[in-house]
Amino acid sequence: MKSSRTTPFSVRIVIFCASLGLFFVLWEVAALIAGNSLILVGPIPATQALIALLQNHLPRGTFGIQGADAAMLQTLVTILFGFVLACVVGIPVGLIMGRWKTAEALIDPWLSAAYSIPIVVLIPMLYFAIGADLFAEIFVTFLITVFTIIVNTHHGVKYVSNALAEVGKSYGASESQFLAKIILPAAMPDIISGMRIGMGRAILAAVLAEVLMSGNGLGGMMMTFQDVLNTPYMMAVVLLIASMGIAVLQLPKILERRLFRWKETESIPRELGR
Amino acid sequence: MKASYSRYIILTGTLIVFVTAWWVIAALVNNSREIVGPVQTGTAFISLFTDPPLTRLLASGLQVTITSILLGFALAVVVGVPVGVLMGRYLVVDLFCDPWVNIWYSIPAIAFVPLAMNWTGISATSSIIIAFLITVFTIIINVYSGVKNISGSLVDCGLAYGATQTQVMTKIILPATLPNIMVGLRLGISRAIEGVIIAEMVFTVVGLGGLMDDAADNLQLAFSGALIIVLAIISLAFAETMNYVARRAVAWKESQAMVRE
Repeated sequence: MKSSRTTPFSVRIVIFCASLGLFFVLWEVAALIAGNSLILVGPIPATQALIALLQNHLPRGTFGIQGADAAMLQTLVTILFGFVLACVVGIPVGLIMGRWKTAEALIDPWLSAAYSIPIVVLIPMLYFAIGADLFAEIFVTFLITVFTIIVNTHHGVKYVSNALAEVGKSYGASESQFLAKIILPAAMPDIISGMRIGMGRAILAAVLAEVLMSGNGLGGMMMTFQDVLNTPYMMAVVLLIASMGIAVLQLPKILERRLFRWKETESIPRELGR
Repeated sequence: MKASYSRYIILTGTLIVFVTAWWVIAALVNNSREIVGPVQTGTAFISLFTDPPLTRLLASGLQVTITSILLGFALAVVVGVPVGVLMGRYLVVDLFCDPWVNIWYSIPAIAFVPLAMNWTGISATSSIIIAFLITVFTIIINVYSGVKNISGSLVDCGLAYGATQTQVMTKIILPATLPNIMVGLRLGISRAIEGVIIAEMVFTVVGLGGLMDDAADNLQLAFSGALIIVLAIISLAFAETMNYVARRAVAWKESQAMVRE
């Protein structure tokens, strides 16, 4: 953080704009070299397709898919419900694991196993067990998101500074006071950062579930355009999915940095989760 | 050692509970087109190694999947570590690359799949590209934050004793960043595995992920389940190997960190 605080904001903006410009130039050059709009389209046709898509225009020749707005709505609903479910389950489980050794001993081996095995391999099996409707996709999203949230909450609660805990104990805090007044606020930065990474996972999960299960939503739309070789529209959906990922992973990070400035000075910055 | 012993007892216990629950649910549903029980899956798993045609299929799938994971990961390390070091060391590189690294890091793996399909077709090469793309930024971010947070006094001390830039790099910065590099590699390998499997499942004709998805599509759920077990074993093996390497490499650092607990 040291460097970015001492560098003037204007210099950073200029360099960022320069790198932004370089990126689009490189993209355009790559598209020219590829010389085949089926393989790689330049930034201009992709942006045009994105604008058309956002205005709910679909190109000719794509039958049997939802409208662009319906697809976006479905993906957002899947992400949101899966994510909220994962928080509702994951945060209490992480809290219990961080507070009680027995729970930790029981759950932790599973958690680390589930964390090193890519849960995504279960999707084709789940398809047959629970179907391919919206509920199934929400469940897949939940399943892929929940472990990230548990791990981060657990980590945050477990490593609450001992000094804080001692103060609470010696002033005779009850268990509920202890939890609400000490543990939760101290663990909040970790919980929030788990939610942030979890939200990124939820996007991946929802889109992947759509590709592999129902063929609806943004994921289904992306693969349909890929199948009919409509590369500009495919690129537009890719950009849409990518910007969703960027929005949920980067914007909260900026907020996080402002809200938990006190915490950042204490701990080494680290990336938890995949 | 006692702690890890009880850990295995608990793991075995919960494993038994899990398999029993699975068996009960499968028996209740009683429809091999929706869910297959542990016995059939176990039989299919054994037949993967005893039935010659299946063994050949498994071997070819394993070869493709493992090669893709390793190549994608190795490429990401070769690119990611130097870029991370440069970003951490030189402010201009940092300012230029930091937004892009964060932006690319945030893109869900699935968004790369259709792009790679367009570039190199449905092939192991596409899986390698996807594995590389979703791994390299994780590695860069970790190496970068490690280099950036190196205590300035270490570098100053080296410079005061007349170390050259290369010496500072190899004798001070790299050893001090090793723990972060290891964290990056550990997170990276699981991302590489996930990326390859996602790619293969979408392609359906390449590697173990493809075999598994294909088997499920053909309603051979027991076979599909057996392949999931194989994939789980591979992932665990990769993750554990990486953990072991990381522990060995930063053994000196770990002893410092332990005090905190």
